[in-house]
Amino acid sequence: MEEEKLHATNHYMYYPDEEKNIPPYLAYGFRPVFLLLAPYMVISMLLWGLVWTGVLNIPFMNDTLTWHVYEMLFGVLTAGVMAFLTTGLPELFPGMVPFVGKRLKYIMALWIAGRVSFWFIDYVGVYVVALLNLSMLFWLIWFAKEIVLDPLQRHASLGYTLVVIFAIECWFFLSVAGVVQTYSMDILKVALGAIVVLILLALRRVNMEAVNEMMEDKNIDDIYISHPPLTNLAVFIVTLFTVVEFFYPENTVLGWIGLATAASILAILNDYALKDEFILNQPYVIYLGSIFVMLALGYGLMGWDLLNSNIYGINHFRHFITSGGLGLSYLLIMIIIGWIHTGRHLTSNIYTHLMVILMITATVIRSLIPFFDNYSSYMYMISAILWAVPFVLYIKVFFKFLLTSRADGILG
Amino acid sequence: MKFVFKILKDFPSYLWSGWGAIASIFLFFACWDLGYQIYGELVLPSPLETLSTLWVMSHNDSVIEDAKITLYRAFFGFGLSVLFGSILGLIAGLFATASIMSRPIVTILVGMPPIAWIVLAMIWFGMGDFTVIFTVVVASFPIVFVGALQGTRTLEGDLKEMGKSFKLPLHVKFLDIYFPHIFSYIFPAWVAALGMAWKIVVMAELLSTSDGIGAALAVARSHLDTPTALALVVIMISSMMFIEYIILEPIKREVELWRN
Repeated sequence: MEEEKLHATNHYMYYPDEEKNIPPYLAYGFRPVFLLLAPYMVISMLLWGLVWTGVLNIPFMNDTLTWHVYEMLFGVLTAGVMAFLTTGLPELFPGMVPFVGKRLKYIMALWIAGRVSFWFIDYVGVYVVALLNLSMLFWLIWFAKEIVLDPLQRHASLGYTLVVIFAIECWFFLSVAGVVQTYSMDILKVALGAIVVLILLALRRVNMEAVNEMMEDKNIDDIYISHPPLTNLAVFIVTLFTVVEFFYPENTVLGWIGLATAASILAILNDYALKDEFILNQPYVIYLGSIFVMLALGYGLMGWDLLNSNIYGINHFRHFITSGGLGLSYLLIMIIIGWIHTGRHLTSNIYTHLMVILMITATVIRSLIPFFDNYSSYMYMISAILWAVPFVLYIKVFFKFLLTSRADGILG
Repeated sequence: MKFVFKILKDFPSYLWSGWGAIASIFLFFACWDLGYQIYGELVLPSPLETLSTLWVMSHNDSVIEDAKITLYRAFFGFGLSVLFGSILGLIAGLFATASIMSRPIVTILVGMPPIAWIVLAMIWFGMGDFTVIFTVVVASFPIVFVGALQGTRTLEGDLKEMGKSFKLPLHVKFLDIYFPHIFSYIFPAWVAALGMAWKIVVMAELLSTSDGIGAALAVARSHLDTPTALALVVIMISSMMFIEYIILEPIKREVELWRN
């Protein structure tokens, strides 16, 4: 029991006590988010799969593709960031009071309202959708103001990136409303770049916690450090790619930058080569490492596509970044927090293996559609199903943890 | 043997650590492509075109023949410098008088611009192999010499004395005290000398021979064939990088590991 209390318990001393009888599903920020996000991922992905294969026709929404991208980027992002911040900040900044109970419920209601309004955008109008979704992201930034105001600026980059993402979302809605003339899809590509930056910055923190936790559990006597220069290089080149793509989407210069982006993301994997111990065979290292491999494959193939005049698959290859990189990031953050912050050890089993393998398989199938034109409608559907299964497994394995109090008896 | 094992064991992670470098090389290619788009094909062919020229050239027998000739000249000259530079440098390092005497001469050798050596060599030996090899030797010899000299000059007296008082046998003294120290100085000098030899050989060939990569470069210049010229440059740089970063750098790292 004593040993179990070691991890993810910084918040414990400051847990609010004015509200009595908080139900377990509202006892900590990540709980309601994951309880809603997992089923939402399953349902929405299956719906999109039906839409793309032509089985289902969404009568409302004049531009399905734009809204598909919007929802998979921003709709999911706000939930992911919400879980990451409300769970991570009280651990990163001891003394911060965890955000729980009724207030958590209200914010989750705002997120749900954002999703409902999104699916009924043709009835409620773009302004209502914009208001609900922007206020959700705005609240998250307000909640995270601590990290920007922190005099040491240890995690400030996360806050600044969120502000940029907020500005991009405003820009998107202004474009949809016709106020600015930029193509909405181009803005969404910029948003993807900013989100990849956010993911790289967040992964640095997640890696530090998860890998060191795993080594401690397995008595591997070494220390994992995620070196900022490697992440910063990748952040710089991803930003460069995003900016150049916005202005010159077809230029071969962008192709070379794409290859550079891939290499700089793969360079982050060097952190896993420790000084004394070998950890590349550890499941969580492979899981987390595969996020970088997916992101790198996406940028690398996009670069290759731009340099090679015989291939036209850039938006398919982009799915290595979205379905693969972003999808795996959300899934792994859900898994890691699901174990550690419910007072358990970071465990890998057949379910976690399956979740990661299925998501990678789905991504590969989705991204390689341009090479198998004849089977494209099957591939859309199969990849949508395979991508949704990990979240079904998540519901099966983790919902009982999320719905009960921490295994070590601590509040939260 | 343990040493070789360690290098092989660290090799994969060393190789993987190159991704950052590869990223910056691709960024360099992006700038190159930008230059092509601004200045046009004649001034700066695109990286893609250069690479495709390179691909065609790699199937051309005469280019391979030229590369072999250049390789032979560079390595022959480099081999001579290593042999004489190391031996003479070690000897000079052992005797204070010899090192006082040799210093100024080395300074003269280093200070003399290689292009001046080429001119002299062309007068002395005419056009041909020997001129190129001579220039390579003259340019890279001082680097090896200074490295070897430093290696023996800086041997630690305390360690020598310790070896003496423990009555270490000669081969132990040599293998565990002298060799690692001297090698850690002389090896980086070899690497630097090889880099020098590689650059000088092309320059000497360009001015004084009718075969080799340098001569091919001169032909490309006279035809205003920029893609071929750039492809030749890519051959030179990539072969240099391969030798330096894939073969020599891992050894250098291990050799210098004990030094802080």
